[in-house]
Amino acid sequence: MRHVIIGSSAAGISAAREIRRLREDAEIIMISRDGHVHSRCMLHKYISHERDVKGLDFTEDNFFETQRVEYIQNEVISVQEKEKCVVLRTGEEIPYDRLLIASGAQSFIPPVGDLRTAPNVCGMRDLSDAQTIDRMAESADNILVIGAGLVGMDAAYGLLQRGKRVTVLEMSHRILPVQLDAHSAEVYQREFESRGAIFYLGRRLEKTICGVGGQICRVVLDTGENIDCDMIIVAAGVRPAIDFLDNSGVEAGRGVLVDAGLQTNVKDIYAAGDVIGHSAIWPNAVKQGIVAARNMCGMSEKYTDTFNEKNMMNFFGIVTLYLGQICTRRDEVVMTEEDRNVYRRISIRDGKVTGILLQGDISNAGVWQYLIKNQIDISNIKENVFQISYADFFSVKADGEYRWNYQRQAAE
Amino acid sequence: MRRIMIDYEKCDGCKNCSIACMQAHREDEGTIYDLNLTDPRNESRNQILRVKDGTYRPLFCRHCKEPECVMTCMSGALRKDPETGLVTYDETRCAACFMCVMHCPYGTIKPSHSLQKVIKCDFCAEDGYEPNCVKSCPKKAIHVEEVEA
Amino acid sequence: MIEYYGCRTCKSADGQLEEYIRTLPMETSHHRVESQDTKCGFGLQGVCCRLCSNGPCRITPEAPRGICGADADTIVARNFLRAVAAGSGCYIHVVENTAKNVRDIARSKGEIKGVNALNRLAEMLDIHEEDLYLRAEKVAQAVLDDLHRPEYENMELVRKMSYAPRYETWKRLGILPGGAKAEVFKGVVKTSTNLNSDPMDMLKDCLKLGISTGIYGLVLTNLLNDIVLGEPELRLAPVGLRVIDPAYINIMITGHQHSMFTYLQKRLTDPDVVAKAKKAGAQGFKLVGCTCVGQDLQLRGAHYEEVFAGHAGNNYTSEAVLATGAIDAVISEFNCTLPGIEPICDKLQIRQICVDSVAKKANAELKEFDFANRERVTEEIIDSVVETYMKRRGGRLNLLVDHGNDDTLTGVSEGSLKEFLGGDWKALVRLIVSGKIKGIAGIVGCSNLTAGGHDVLTVELTKELISRDILVLSAGCSSGGLENCGLMTKDAVKYAGPGLREVCEQLDIPPVLNFGPCLAIGRLELVAIELAETLGIDLPQLPLVLSAAQWLEEQAIADGCYGLALGLPLHLGLPPFVTGSPKATRTLTQDMKHLTGGQVIINDNAKESADILEKIIQEKRSGLQI
Repeated sequence: MRHVIIGSSAAGISAAREIRRLREDAEIIMISRDGHVHSRCMLHKYISHERDVKGLDFTEDNFFETQRVEYIQNEVISVQEKEKCVVLRTGEEIPYDRLLIASGAQSFIPPVGDLRTAPNVCGMRDLSDAQTIDRMAESADNILVIGAGLVGMDAAYGLLQRGKRVTVLEMSHRILPVQLDAHSAEVYQREFESRGAIFYLGRRLEKTICGVGGQICRVVLDTGENIDCDMIIVAAGVRPAIDFLDNSGVEAGRGVLVDAGLQTNVKDIYAAGDVIGHSAIWPNAVKQGIVAARNMCGMSEKYTDTFNEKNMMNFFGIVTLYLGQICTRRDEVVMTEEDRNVYRRISIRDGKVTGILLQGDISNAGVWQYLIKNQIDISNIKENVFQISYADFFSVKADGEYRWNYQRQAAE
Repeated sequence: MRRIMIDYEKCDGCKNCSIACMQAHREDEGTIYDLNLTDPRNESRNQILRVKDGTYRPLFCRHCKEPECVMTCMSGALRKDPETGLVTYDETRCAACFMCVMHCPYGTIKPSHSLQKVIKCDFCAEDGYEPNCVKSCPKKAIHVEEVEA
Repeated sequence: MIEYYGCRTCKSADGQLEEYIRTLPMETSHHRVESQDTKCGFGLQGVCCRLCSNGPCRITPEAPRGICGADADTIVARNFLRAVAAGSGCYIHVVENTAKNVRDIARSKGEIKGVNALNRLAEMLDIHEEDLYLRAEKVAQAVLDDLHRPEYENMELVRKMSYAPRYETWKRLGILPGGAKAEVFKGVVKTSTNLNSDPMDMLKDCLKLGISTGIYGLVLTNLLNDIVLGEPELRLAPVGLRVIDPAYINIMITGHQHSMFTYLQKRLTDPDVVAKAKKAGAQGFKLVGCTCVGQDLQLRGAHYEEVFAGHAGNNYTSEAVLATGAIDAVISEFNCTLPGIEPICDKLQIRQICVDSVAKKANAELKEFDFANRERVTEEIIDSVVETYMKRRGGRLNLLVDHGNDDTLTGVSEGSLKEFLGGDWKALVRLIVSGKIKGIAGIVGCSNLTAGGHDVLTVELTKELISRDILVLSAGCSSGGLENCGLMTKDAVKYAGPGLREVCEQLDIPPVLNFGPCLAIGRLELVAIELAETLGIDLPQLPLVLSAAQWLEEQAIADGCYGLALGLPLHLGLPPFVTGSPKATRTLTQDMKHLTGGQVIINDNAKESADILEKIIQEKRSGLQI
């Protein structure tokens, strides 16, 4: 049986590995535009010159040989549902028995001024983007980053490490608005500022002014302020990469639509990762790849770990983790704990954690993801809830694996 | 695969296992007598935690069947070794993103003090896969057993 | 980020202090409780032996004996006796210095503030001497002679200082102590490698050490100090961090040897010395009380109103006192001077001076107190403190001006209380017989941070006891916590049960009486003896219990052994490190009742502990048919 996988990132690679683990004799073909397998979560380290192309590769050495995966560097331009084949940019047709769409997403460049056309504007989604940024940054000193989400801050980090003058423009009134609360965001803002970054917060891009060669050399904000720049990195979000599915019969909304087993409306066509558009994070993409692979191999498994409200960052020696949501709903209890090294904030509703933010010390933090995801009651476990750990739920199975004992807690 | 089995009721909280782990993984040479107990680089991979009733829970990496840490590793530093069943860690690949820390529900993987890497059980591979924590436990609260991988 | 050193400090019964410490920018002992949370079970049970190079050996089911063959009972008893010997040594050191001070002052015909105290003690010791100074010298010498006796010679003052029925019991049990210092020596020898292995023999030695500790280290230290430092007088005094006035050059004092401050505290109010302070820009000098020696000054505060600012807090309040920034120097002479104050003193440029080498802190200058050189040393100390004041002041202060209270009743002693009650104990006995006061609890000893937190068990247990009409007398760091929490103000009657409340309101006293430092446990025991005498019974029959709810150190264990020798029930929040030995545990908690009449009760829950202690008091009342 031939499995064709479109895409070579988290979902695609994990699916290929799982199919091989399950099916010694299957044929696996992976089609990707990328020249190199790479982890997009490390692109900022490429820009900062902390890592080279090889250093971005997250697969083991000789992955394609040992796993016997045929790699085709090309672009899929359409999927022929009836013929059960995909068509490449080069015109070649690749038949499949099972198809996994793991084509990921692409940067969204807002249609403001000349952002979409100017040659000195770039997204930061994959290795080719990073390579473009790296090249352009050779001759650029003033760099504008639009968007202060994780990707924007990654870009700012990489460029600051290169000694560039970095200006970050963000619509929200604070940086990392989705990932952090105001307090923890300010810690990063000050750290970035101390390293030379300039922030324009609570402002929008209104228009662009082009100079030589159609390059944007200045932008104008809604406040009337001007920012001069040599190049622009747009980090204003991504959209699932689904253009090639037009007329393929595969249904898509914002992303490809799938059932619980990650199969699309078309039999034998599955989708996983960012292309399904609801949980744009690495671990979920990996798990989706595994579930899709199992179903492609005839098993019947559901993808259940849909929890995606999780963020982790590590900039300049400050680590922060944010799980769930810390709202200030009236029925939520919010507790904080803070000292010169650590900031912790948790919100609890009906004894269950709805969100937690840990800055400075994230040891043992994984327990919180489990407690939030599974809505475990944490009442009466520890006087200081921040001291809760897996030890409070400790139990072992016969094979020595851990399991969760919360009945004991409830009974006490 | 072989796994460190835990009989928590026997644990007396002496932390001998923690010191043994620190000694086994110290960067400099030396004996247990000169192990610097205050150098944060000498971190233990296991932890002994006290719960409400005053008893102890020794937490050791399970090298899980479906390890969350491996599934969430975006650099390829963490892998499940198909031969030994162990979850191995390649420090040179690690990008210190700490996704593994966020995902291990048991807290058995943590950022190093330097925040440059993570601290995780390697089953004392360099000592022939005979964990030093197990050897050091005076109460035999931990032992190694062959289990279904 | 904010400057708090760490956000997890342990609880304190004193909420305001807890919050203050939690938000400090420096590390304190309260911060370190969490990181030391996992305790070694072998250590806790006392079954780790490090007496030889074969060790450390620890007792487990597979290894019930150490390499040498010592079992849990032997290992525990050895470790325990070592601790008792060390604790006894501490108090014997204190009484030795105190007696020397009385002797030296007498010889130099210095000031004797407590002539009555001298006469009373001379009477007790059968010393008849016309000349005041010779009388004082002979009293001091009699104590010193006993301390320096060999171990095989019984000390002579034991019989004179003890209650007759007790003395007979001790004699019968063979636990009359030899020379106090020699007993400590023997305890150390007995417990060395491959010497004594008989747990009962060693536990008996613990009682012996308890008796010498109690009679000499506790009772006599107080009575000797009263001679030269003045007798306690009842008065209301301010307590807590509020006593620190930044307009003065402030010296925090820590330790247990009030006698070592005699000369300094006098000099600090002399006009030429005050002038030095004024020249430096301060209004004068103040001694800020901390730990037991602060309690000592507070107890005799009526004599030192000018120089003594008041008692700021107990052992685990000392870091907070320093953190205010308004302390310029720490003068320490004994224990409860936490090593953890050193980095704080460094950071805040506070000068540390030790006047007794046994308490030499790493950071401190040693200015050994010596009677002959006291004038020179005192001037050196004063000059260096002034110099420090000028160098360090001007920084930000972090005062806590509303902490504590202004009206804590202090100055309670066996003498001042009796006088207050009309010159004898009959009134108190009547109240006990009538049941208005069900009984008496001595809440004594230290504060630790692990029995619920700083002063938590002490304060909760005290509230429980007074609510059951049990009068509480307190001495030690426990009283530092109780006073800062307001339990020694008249307002605290609101926590008392109806009987006790009525009595307190009538007499206008709080339901918890402050005897001061841990040394004053000796005074509580004098009260107990006098009550027993009044009733014509032996001590174990009294409706009186002791609780060292938050005992901390080896000294407290030695004190506890005195309590057991006296035949009193002794409650502890946390067990000493003996529970690994069934024999030691049974002896201390059960069999002791048949030996001395005493017993150890271990419980870390305030309510349960109060239930147990109340039940014991009821049983004793029934025994007396009251």
